[in-house]
Amino acid sequence: MKKKVWCAVFAVLAAGILAGTRLAWSRGKEEMQQEKTAIRLGILLYRGDDTFISNVRQALEEQAKLYEQETGIKVVLNIEDAKENQITQNSQLERLISLGYDALCVNIVDRSMASAMIDDAMAADVPIVFFNREPVEEDLRLWEKLYYVGADAKESAVLQGNIVAELYQKDPAKVDRNGDGKVNYVLLEGETSHQDSLIRTEWSIQTLMEGGVPLEKLTGGIANWERSQASAMMEQWLEQFPGQIELVISNNDDMALGAIDAMERLEIPDPINVVGIDGTPQGVQALERGMLLGTVQSDRAEYAHAIFTIAAALALDEDPKKDIQLVDEKYYWTHQTILVQ
Amino acid sequence: MEQFKSRMLFLISAVILVLLYLMSSTNLIIHEKKTEIYPVSVIVEDSSDEDYEKLRKGMDRAAEEFHVDLSFITLYEPNDQEQQISLIAREISDGAEAVILSPARPAQAAMSLDDMMLNSPMVVLGELFPNEKVTTGISIDYMEAGRLLGTAVKEDGAAGPVYLISEGLDYGYARELSDGVVQVLGEAGYETSLRTLYTEEDCRNLMEGLAASGEQRAVWVALDENSLETAARMMDSSSEYCRQVKGLYGIGGTNRILNYLDKGIIRGLVVHNWFDEGYLSVEKAVEAIQGGGIKEQIIMDAYYITKEDMRDPAYEKLLYPID
Repeated sequence: MKKKVWCAVFAVLAAGILAGTRLAWSRGKEEMQQEKTAIRLGILLYRGDDTFISNVRQALEEQAKLYEQETGIKVVLNIEDAKENQITQNSQLERLISLGYDALCVNIVDRSMASAMIDDAMAADVPIVFFNREPVEEDLRLWEKLYYVGADAKESAVLQGNIVAELYQKDPAKVDRNGDGKVNYVLLEGETSHQDSLIRTEWSIQTLMEGGVPLEKLTGGIANWERSQASAMMEQWLEQFPGQIELVISNNDDMALGAIDAMERLEIPDPINVVGIDGTPQGVQALERGMLLGTVQSDRAEYAHAIFTIAAALALDEDPKKDIQLVDEKYYWTHQTILVQ
Repeated sequence: MEQFKSRMLFLISAVILVLLYLMSSTNLIIHEKKTEIYPVSVIVEDSSDEDYEKLRKGMDRAAEEFHVDLSFITLYEPNDQEQQISLIAREISDGAEAVILSPARPAQAAMSLDDMMLNSPMVVLGELFPNEKVTTGISIDYMEAGRLLGTAVKEDGAAGPVYLISEGLDYGYARELSDGVVQVLGEAGYETSLRTLYTEEDCRNLMEGLAASGEQRAVWVALDENSLETAARMMDSSSEYCRQVKGLYGIGGTNRILNYLDKGIIRGLVVHNWFDEGYLSVEKAVEAIQGGGIKEQIIMDAYYITKEDMRDPAYEKLLYPID
């Protein structure tokens, strides 16, 4: 008899626990289902005034509107600029998570600091699509709801090197302008902490050398992707090596434009060959004006489409792979093309 | 007896455990005090939110302080008043407890809102609408801002015609601004004329037309940010275009516009404190949600600045607000 009483007591207790758990779970689920007619995406930028990032941001806004019109699902985009401060970006992420955003697209400030963001996102079950600044692979493997969209830095660099190598093979005098059998170049590099800087530099130079271009480095500097910094450096180099610079290799278009600004400011009569990467609208304009020899364009619409498609699918609890082809189930590499004068 | 005691102890422990579980993991016993979060939608007149950085900083600051979940909504096409109206309806039906509107065409928006049943209060970044649900208007005095620009042109002593460039007088508060400029310059004997520039192409055509006709060079006064930025960009791209304009003045404060002022392409600019405007708009929206506040028009100060003023700490704080 006593046993029966105890069994009954435990049964009641177990039922209580189950009921509590069930209630909490069903409330959560109800809330989730209510949000399906709208998705809320947070976009965190490392620096809003970076030309390439600003272009991707605009394309993301266009994508969101297109998606809204096509599917009838309302898209709320919240775009935040960290101004190169990882602490700011962490608090932006925490705030968006606390406001119940469905997915986050993160252009991380410091790629080695992704784990803290990932921990917060995992705890709240908010997926992240990283873009442009790639976290280390170990971090990306921490959770299945982490993705990366970017352009393959090695491919960009090889294509950039090919622009000059092909011109040299066609007409060496157009690259070796003083005909001394050497091509004197200066190098403008992006941030040291960005994975693309080193890869772009290394493979661009290697491609040029393999293409038979007799390179000789005059100098180089880190201009942190910025036009103004590159412009100041180039002005100094033009004064330091008057008439000697034959080629400017830049890790991106903005720094290439900075070098062009310096040449225009100093009224260099015969513009030096400058090559960039990104194919930003400003870079393309310089190409059309004949000031930029060439650039490697990663399609910004495709870039934004990939980020948005993955994020939207995740926000709707769908598998992004049904809409987009991923490499190693986590990576999307955008296509790149050469643009020359 | 001992056995009974230990069983009772076991039973009490089990009950405590269950109670602790129910208290910590569910809302059944202790109702967690929930901070009320107010969903507020901001609807602007542009198709991108890139140029609202300063306004957003103020809004974000207020959103954190007043527990507001802000949705910042842009249009499919810039200045589409009809879409703005449909977005107001959508946001309110989706649960926005207040709407902050920067109207594309204020007069048209006021008329459209008269025909609508608004279930949530609204704050206008502009002049107050008669609709009873529109509780607050926040703006500068555009007529006065126009007078500031007119006075600057007059004091700079540039002779010759003055072109007022704009996307159209019905957009934003271009008409009020124009009236202010014309009032001052008309009294001073200047000849002013309106030039409508919808696109960069219009601006290029105007500049090339002026160069070809050999007409007297004019002072340009932009009545909206887009026209000002377009003209400045054209002047920056070509020294030939630059020569066609005797002096460029206008209103606005995007970072690109400030860069043009710094480069000397724009001669003078009317600015105001966008951060405070954003902050106030969210604060007033929350007041309206809570049922407080009175219907009011808040007039913000407008300032005329030149390149030299940009480094003045008072203006620097206004032009580049920190987070």
